[in-house]
Amino acid sequence: MPSPSTEREGLGALANRVVPVALVLLAWELVTRAHWVNPYVFPPVTEILLRWGRLFVDGTVYLPLWDTLWRSLAGLGAAIAVGVPLGLLMGRVRWAEWFFQPLFSFGFPLPKIALIPLYVHWFGLFHLSKVMLIFTDCLFPIVLFTYHGAKGVSPVYVWSAQSRGTGRVRMLWRVVLPLSAASIYDGVQVAVVVAVLVAVVSEMVSGGGGLGQLMIRAYRYGDVNTAFAALLTISVLGFALYKAAAWLRERLLFWHVGEA
Amino acid sequence: MGEPCLDLRAVAMRYGRGPEAVEALASIDLAVDEHEFVTIVGPSGCGKSTLLYLVGGFLQPSAGTIRLRGKPIAGPGPDRGIVFQRYSLFPWLTVRGNIAYGLAEKGTPRRERDRIVSELVRLVHLEGFEERYPRELSGGMQQRVALAQTLACQPDILLMDEPFGALDAQTRRILQDELRRIWRRDMKTVLFVTHDVEEAVALGNRIVVMAARPGRIKEVFHRGFEVPEGGEFDAIPEFTALKLRVWRSVKEEVEAARA
Amino acid sequence: MSARLALGLSRLAPLLLLLAAWQAASAAGLLPRRVLPPFAEVAAALWALIASGELWPHTVASLTRAGIGFAVAVAAGIALGLLMARIRSVQRAVEPILLLVYPVPKPALIPLFMIWLGIGDFSKITVIALACLVPVVIATFNGARGVDEFLLWSARARGTSERALLWRVVLPAALPQIAAGVRTAIAVAIIVLVSSEFISSDAGLGFLIFSYGGVGADDAMLAVVIFLALLGYFLDRAYVGLLRRYMAWHAFAQH
Repeated sequence: MPSPSTEREGLGALANRVVPVALVLLAWELVTRAHWVNPYVFPPVTEILLRWGRLFVDGTVYLPLWDTLWRSLAGLGAAIAVGVPLGLLMGRVRWAEWFFQPLFSFGFPLPKIALIPLYVHWFGLFHLSKVMLIFTDCLFPIVLFTYHGAKGVSPVYVWSAQSRGTGRVRMLWRVVLPLSAASIYDGVQVAVVVAVLVAVVSEMVSGGGGLGQLMIRAYRYGDVNTAFAALLTISVLGFALYKAAAWLRERLLFWHVGEA
Repeated sequence: MGEPCLDLRAVAMRYGRGPEAVEALASIDLAVDEHEFVTIVGPSGCGKSTLLYLVGGFLQPSAGTIRLRGKPIAGPGPDRGIVFQRYSLFPWLTVRGNIAYGLAEKGTPRRERDRIVSELVRLVHLEGFEERYPRELSGGMQQRVALAQTLACQPDILLMDEPFGALDAQTRRILQDELRRIWRRDMKTVLFVTHDVEEAVALGNRIVVMAARPGRIKEVFHRGFEVPEGGEFDAIPEFTALKLRVWRSVKEEVEAARA
Repeated sequence: MSARLALGLSRLAPLLLLLAAWQAASAAGLLPRRVLPPFAEVAAALWALIASGELWPHTVASLTRAGIGFAVAVAAGIALGLLMARIRSVQRAVEPILLLVYPVPKPALIPLFMIWLGIGDFSKITVIALACLVPVVIATFNGARGVDEFLLWSARARGTSERALLWRVVLPAALPQIAAGVRTAIAVAIIVLVSSEFISSDAGLGFLIFSYGGVGADDAMLAVVIFLALLGYFLDRAYVGLLRRYMAWHAFAQH
């Protein structure tokens, strides 16, 4: 994520940031209003924004938004619930590392969305297949980041806890988990983006409600305004979830110093 | 004696403006003669590195003039060779490529370049490591390469910014010894910044102690005796005595900074 | 060499165990065929697809789309990232746009681009290029901005001019980060490719998976999924191998 420069800037610099975007939008509006392009293909910006507003006023957007949101969060939550313990185990237990590490590092770069047809076949067209696919896809970053975090815990911490009487299982929760927290959170941050992406793609491909289906339907009916409004909603959702995760990180990891 | 190699007159450096301005250096006068080895020692924050960066041309002084062999300094250039504590080397070039870097920039022909590089490799004892990359070398070896890279440019003066500061104590002594050997061989002019009193006395003919807030020259010591090779300077009583005098001068400043 | 072979086998063992368990469960009747066909049948289907030559035109179609989009994105992304790092006004103009584009799940752009550019290859390639552009630009920008100042000073003090600094120092110093961004872009390209071929296509590996899935030919569908996974895996490995070879000066993580 690019972070805007935090230094104090003058008015000229602010204009430098705002003007190019504004110019693009203005040119778009003028070109489309002048009917230089087909308005069914390229509607004016204001029309898109009006449609976006109307989706909220007439309530069309709420159910798809809710579907996409809860599917993403359910899949992500399940992946955290399974992935964090598994990753910690892999980081501390030799046989777990031997078995799972190659599987997860092999599977990480692979396109899990290729499994959509198989998951539809197994879990149906509706919620379950989507939640399961989001779970599968989010599991990889969470397991791998947790594993690397647990693996990187300095043995000095473990020895120092051992000498104070901490047992093997408690060690995972009391020592390794907090020390891996920063890395785990990096994994969650990656997984949030993945969750929304997988939710939307699976909804576009196999239907079953959600913003992805809202969008693909609008496309099939040639309703560009609604397709655009759906895209805007998806983007805002993705951005909001990403920011919420970053906000939570600040709250949970306030004690963490070093490269955050 | 003639004209000094490096001549600083009333050099001052301020960061920021108005009441919030920080005076890093206040009116430094310093002349370094040809073939002289000058060390600058002082507590952290006394502006000793800033002074070196001004001579390097990386920073511009707020006031005063800096001349190298009579010419005022305008920006960085290969006439002043600098060795930093870290990051002097380019990680994507081999030892050979790093040493040859300045020669390539100057357009030295290939064969001449190879000859100079192999001579320098021998000088800093890196035979057999020519094709290694910096990350494959120890900290001490990296600094040897940095020294060779700098010498390859044939600078009028060597500027050294705590070059051995990140090394362990044994390696540091060995490299100090080698630097002294190289200096005796071709008598380059050296301006060497350190926070280590022993290093300052072991290397410098002249030891400049700086004080902080604002950074200024506090006291200058001359080393009137030779330091034996092999880093065995503890054996001579004059060395211990001079080290003690310089340390007392520096200690006052460290304590003043803490008060 | 034999030590490397042993390590490779030990890393491959869990996967082989998993496949053996799959096959055994099918043979023992624990895994009904309509849930998952036996692994041996999937392997046979994969072999048949390869032997009959059916797979190749689809592989070529997919790789062409992904390859063009990816190549355009890498070239444009590195140039844009360097420009942003060196010229303040470019950075200020592009940053807000990047912030807007970053959170958009790129496959969601596919329907819009199909409206604008038609349902053919051009819209797919454009979305792939756009999706790959983002990680490359961000990595290049961060890499070029993060070049240590002492490294720049060091080069200037050895006679490098301000204009040559970009090629002699900034670009090589940023390469490790750029390389990481490009690796992300490879994975992104495949994800967007498959999504776009699922949504609308008449050729390509995504199309093949979707159409076999649609007619219930699970063994052939899984065979193409496995083929795609292998393709993605070897592309990634080949890229990492190239980096190890040509960027030996940088210590890369092992995986």
